[in-house]
Parts: sequence; structure tokens; C-alpha cells
Amino acid sequence: MALLELNNIFKTYKIGSVEVHALQGLNTVIKKNEYVSIMGPSGSGKSTLMNVIGCLDTPTEGNYLLDGLTVHSNNSEEAKLDDNKLAEIRNQKIGFVFQTFNLLPRATALHNVELPLIYAGISKKARMEKAHSTLIEVGLGDRMHHKPNELSGGQRQRVAMARALVNNPSIILADEPTGNLDSKTSAEIMVLLDKLHSVGNTIILVTHEHDIAEHAHRIITLLDGKVSEDSKTKNGSKNKLINNNS
Amino acid sequence: MGQLWESFAMAFKDVFANKTRSFLTMLGIIIGILSVSLMGTAISGINNTFENSMEMIGNDVLHLQKYPWFMKGGDWWDFRNRPDMKVEYAEKILQRSKKISFASTEMQNMGNIRYGDNSIQGVFIDAASWQLQFVNSLDLLAGRFYTKAEDRNASKVVVIGYGIKDNLFPNQNPIGEEVRIRGMKYKVIGTLKEQGKFLGLFSFDNMAIIPLRSAYSIFGRRRHMSITLKVREGFEVGEAKEEVRMIMRSIRGLKPAEKDNFAINQQEAFRQQFSAIKMGISGAGFGITALALLVGGIGIMNIMFVSVRERTKEIGIRKALGAKQNIILFQFLSEAVIIAVIGGLIGLSITISLVGLLNKFFVASLSIKLIIISLSVSIITGILSGIVPARKAAKLDPIDAIRYE
Repeated sequence: MALLELNNIFKTYKIGSVEVHALQGLNTVIKKNEYVSIMGPSGSGKSTLMNVIGCLDTPTEGNYLLDGLTVHSNNSEEAKLDDNKLAEIRNQKIGFVFQTFNLLPRATALHNVELPLIYAGISKKARMEKAHSTLIEVGLGDRMHHKPNELSGGQRQRVAMARALVNNPSIILADEPTGNLDSKTSAEIMVLLDKLHSVGNTIILVTHEHDIAEHAHRIITLLDGKVSEDSKTKNGSKNKLINNNS
Repeated sequence: MGQLWESFAMAFKDVFANKTRSFLTMLGIIIGILSVSLMGTAISGINNTFENSMEMIGNDVLHLQKYPWFMKGGDWWDFRNRPDMKVEYAEKILQRSKKISFASTEMQNMGNIRYGDNSIQGVFIDAASWQLQFVNSLDLLAGRFYTKAEDRNASKVVVIGYGIKDNLFPNQNPIGEEVRIRGMKYKVIGTLKEQGKFLGLFSFDNMAIIPLRSAYSIFGRRRHMSITLKVREGFEVGEAKEEVRMIMRSIRGLKPAEKDNFAINQQEAFRQQFSAIKMGISGAGFGITALALLVGGIGIMNIMFVSVRERTKEIGIRKALGAKQNIILFQFLSEAVIIAVIGGLIGLSITISLVGLLNKFFVASLSIKLIIISLSVSIITGILSGIVPARKAAKLDPIDAIRYE
């Protein structure tokens, strides 16, 4: 079952009078509970694709279906979604994990994790419970009331992962999640990401590090705004076994 | 609701996270609200005092005198050379007029009152004919007013004001006691209720009323006399004034071309003076308020732009996590309004502490209405100055915002 379907996606930016063609007819399908890495040299369109998938940006052209919902369509009848509608989709369907963690610096871990639930309009009691249990799930049960600057890099990324998970999104979108971490902490984060996959989450991992990408079961390689290679990894062929070596 | 509350709470935190900055930003609003509430309080206080004072004069009373209360132009010598008022006028006017019900002749002077070893200087002594009790609203605390016979016989009786009673007879019933007014013995027959100060300056409580004829021997006959006339119920003050004017012209034998050589004073004269003063105060107050609020509003707007810029990344994160435009808008708008309202509250509390000071001059209090107006003005200023920065925040592109460092 296709969770995410990108069909002939184009994205063109205008920087001054120069047009930048970031995506040029990209096609791909990602199924539910897949674990996919997106790789490619810089300028290949990785970031743009990630923004399009994450509904932070809409394509210039092409069809994008996410979890049965048309995010963008060439057919003008199906309206292009506005800023607020996209915010709603991000809130409901996407869990972001960023390279720079992007936590609110003055809020506690708990409050950071609570945020998506607040914007989802969930009651105080329910969201406290959910945020609590999710933080425990990522191993931060004892750090809930700490602010980001009182946490280590690995712990911050765990908070970010809890925040990504908390609203049960369709996709967890991790953009270089280990980019700012040392190798030991990176390994821990990848163990957690693998675990999240094993319990049924769909994970899309954007990275330029091969050993990190290898955690996924499938690697999509981009070049010049198109998919240049789409292959299964060792893990993929082993069929969803949790893999701890890094 | 949860979202709005969270946005509001965050806004509140942010205001307090930058205490010094927020406070400096508030200054304009503080001054603006201080000025509007202080001015409002002062005006209502002055107004109350004025209305009380006008009641002392009476609004259905005409004062026939040599001089007008407020001389506008004209040569002082022209007024000076006018003939004096005479006691007989009162009777003559009463006989001829349909629109005047009572007339009382009065002579006023300052003097001292002594009881035993205590004496009060500078007492306002009102020597008035017995009809005064019908012309002015004199509320007696105890005793009685003097009678027609006592007035005719120049009896040495006195009705004393509350202040005198309080000073000379603090723990004693003054009725029946003898006091000395300018050395002459007078028997106290009545005391007046407390009246307060006239225009906050002159206390009617520090007054003694004695029969007109009894005063001739103390004051001499030719002190400035004035005749106080009460307009009969059912007639307009203006009509009665015109009637009295014609009667007086006839009494004085003035030819049609000659100007009046007397003045008929009434409350209206005070009202005109007063409304000019009031307009002056409110005009100045309004100007200061508007200016301070404008400066304060621009200050808030400026600091909100800074705040939006500083928190661009935070806005980006929030939008990525699903915050809609209105939520972001509300958060920043709340921040502006919170700053403005806290400023307003500080301004109001300064006013409250200053009201005590104002009360030394006149009875004034900060009304609920004024508090509501002040807070509404704060909220409106906050909204007006916060809306543009808040819209800017709401419209930020999440991708650009989240990358902002």
C-alpha cells in the first residue's frame, strides 16, 4: 500500500532572475512501514525533496499523494493547499527530526514534546500523558523537566524524536539526524530510529553518510533533481531484522 | 482553546523573560495611561467640587450686586462709581415681581469670633435678613434660624457654621452659649451642617450668620450690600433675571440709553468660567495622552519587530510542527497587548497613589468607568501596535524561518 506517491514532481526556484530547477520530474513511491534513505550529492535536490515530502513546501508541478490525501495535483480542480492546511497536514502526518534538533530553547523537554499535541488541539491531560509516555519511550523519563541547554546533544535529539513521534505521524522525516553528533551518540540515535521502524513507523532518512544510510532497507539516490538509483540494502534483503552494527 | 492559551502563556513568559526591555517599552503607555486616568480623575473631582459649590450658591438664585462676579472688559472705575445697593430694594422688588418668591439682603465681612479664651480669626460673617433661610438651602444641624422679629429688633443672635462649632465647642452643645463677634455679645441659636469648601478654596463651614440689622452697629450701614433673590418655582431663571433687571432700572430711574448700573449675578457666570478651565485641562490632558500613547505604541511596534526577528527560528519550528498562522499571530499580538496592559496597570496604580494627593485639594476618586476606559485604551494600543509585527510573524515561510540563525 502506497503511503506516499510522488509523480513527476518539478520544483523551480527563482533566485533573482535565475531559475533553479531543484526537482525535475521526480517519481517515487514509498510504502507503509518502509525504511528509506535518501542520498545524493549537494545540489541534487535532497533538501527540496525533503521539504516537499514534509509539506513545508509545495512542488511547482506534479502530483503528490500522502496517506490518501492529495497535497498537490496538476489537476487544478483539486486546489493547491494553503499555508494553514499544510500546517495541519504537517501536524497530523509528519514527524520531523532535524540535524540541529530545533527544540524551543526556553521550553522544557516535556513542553517541546507537547507542542505538536497542542497544535492538534488535544486536551491538557491527554497530551501530558502522551508526552510523558513518549519521552519514556525514547529513554528520557528522568529528563522531562530539563531545558535543551541542560541536555547533551544525544538527549536533545531524543527529545526531538519524541516530539516527532508523539502525534502518531504517518512518516518520520529525519534530516541528517546524526549530523551534529559524535559517532557514539550517532550510533545510539540510529538504534532508536531502527527501533521506531521495527514497531511499525515509516521512516525517511536524509543523509550523505553511507553507513548511516545503510540502516535503512532501501536507498533512493538523487542526481540533478531526479531519482538516479533506487536499491535495497543489506538490511532490506534481510527483511526487517533489527540491526545494531554501525 | 488549548492552543490560544498556550500562545498566551508563551507570550506572557516572553514579556517577563526580557524584563528591562519590556519595562522600557512600557514607559510610553505608562505615561499615556497615567495622564488619561489622572486627568479624568482630576476633572471629575473638580466637577464634583464645582457642583457642590454651585449647590451652595443655588441654581435658582439671583445675586443683585454692585459688581459683576467676573468683570469682562469695562472700566473698573465705571463699576466703582455705581450707586450702592440699598436694603429697601429687596422689598420693592418683591412687591413688583411675579417671578421672585423671596429676597434677602446681605452684608458680608470678615471678623473674629471668641468663646471664652478661644477665638477664631477670619470668620466669614454673613449679616443677612431673616428671609435668607428661604433663599439659600441652609441645613440646620441643631437649633433654629432667627425670626423676622429678631431681625427687625436687631437681636444679637447667631447661627454658626460647622467649622466654628467644631472649633469653639468641640465637646459642648453651643446652643444658648454666648460668643463675641467683633467684640459684641451674640447668643448662639443654631448650628449648620457641614457644607465643604466653595471651589475648594473657601469654607462655608467657617461662617456665622447674624441678623442684618444687628450688624449695622458692627459693620456700619454702607458695607457692600447684596440682595439675594429666589426665583419662584415654575419660572425660568433667565426670565426672572430680565424681570428683575427692568424693575431695578425703574427703581434707579435709568433712561433707555443708559447702561445698567448694577449687576445680576448667577451660577451661570461660574459655569462659563469653569467650562473654559475644564476644556483647558482636558485639552492638555488629551494632547499629552495621545502623544504618549503614540510614542508608546511605536515603541511596542518596534520591540515587537525585534522580537519577531529574534524568534524567527522559533516561529519556523512552531510552523513546522503544525502551528497555523492565526496561532502565531495570536501569540505575538498577545505579547504586544500584555506589554500595553501591564503598562496601563502600572499607570493606573501610579494614578491611584496620586489620588490621595489630589484629595488634599478636592474630593476625587478613580472611577470604575475610568479604569475600564484606561484598560481598553491599553488593549487597543497593544493591538494596533502589535498587529503589523504579528502578521509578519504569521506569514513567515517555515523553511526560511527554521534555517534562520
